[in-house]
Amino acid sequence: MTTAEPSPPEIQQPDTSATRCVELSLPAEPELLFLARMTAAAVASRAEFGFDQIEDLRLAIDELCITLAGEDGTEGRVHLVFEWEGDLLEVTAKLVAEHDHLTAAPPTGTDWPDADVNELSGRILDALVDEHGTDNVGGSPRAWFRVRRQPRDP
Amino acid sequence: MATDVNFEVSELESNGIPVLAVRGEVDVATAPQLRERLNAFAERGNVTIVVDLTDVSFVDSTALGVLVSAAKRLRKGGGDLKLVVTEPHIAKVLSITGLNEVFEVFATAGEAVSA
Repeated sequence: MTTAEPSPPEIQQPDTSATRCVELSLPAEPELLFLARMTAAAVASRAEFGFDQIEDLRLAIDELCITLAGEDGTEGRVHLVFEWEGDLLEVTAKLVAEHDHLTAAPPTGTDWPDADVNELSGRILDALVDEHGTDNVGGSPRAWFRVRRQPRDP
Repeated sequence: MATDVNFEVSELESNGIPVLAVRGEVDVATAPQLRERLNAFAERGNVTIVVDLTDVSFVDSTALGVLVSAAKRLRKGGGDLKLVVTEPHIAKVLSITGLNEVFEVFATAGEAVSA
């Protein structure tokens, strides 16, 4: 009687594609948004973006997360995917439920609401990235942007 | 209230005008602390205040929203809100949102107070 040999563990092949990808998942809480900014800066630096554009991307990722999770945060996690190839960087932020459903971000509760943050956020993204948008994938709200690396000053 | 080690607001006075010197990153997590300080001034009525952003390294739309709302409220009471901005990235955010047309922006707190 022969016994089947256990199959060998799969060997992870190195990623030979030109696309690089970094993922970050964090609770959708305002106090943790700085982690998204730090990651955006690190990725943009790795993708050889210049200093000024790295600063722009720190702000763009911040606005992307606010678009998704609101000013007061919400339940669930923000799952960020940074992908870059050549001079193109694409960032996708998806709000993922931790439980059965997502709850919309509550209002700020102030009797004097702040100026329209959504409008300001939209203006900032319009100015800093090449394309941006929001959609819904499988019941999860998603926001994204694409930006091309600008040539550096000689 | 949670405090952020990378955010601080200190209150000074120059020629009788309150100057709020802000330091650090003003984002969705820290903007409520700034809102609270600004609202306290707005409740006093006819007050002009200077918000000094010289040592601020980051502002986002929530920070701008807080500043715009405070300015509206102060102006309604006969006062105003003036900004001090020296950091190019902060000036850029004001420019791309068009808020450089809404606020009086100065290079130093001294200029803002004496204007």
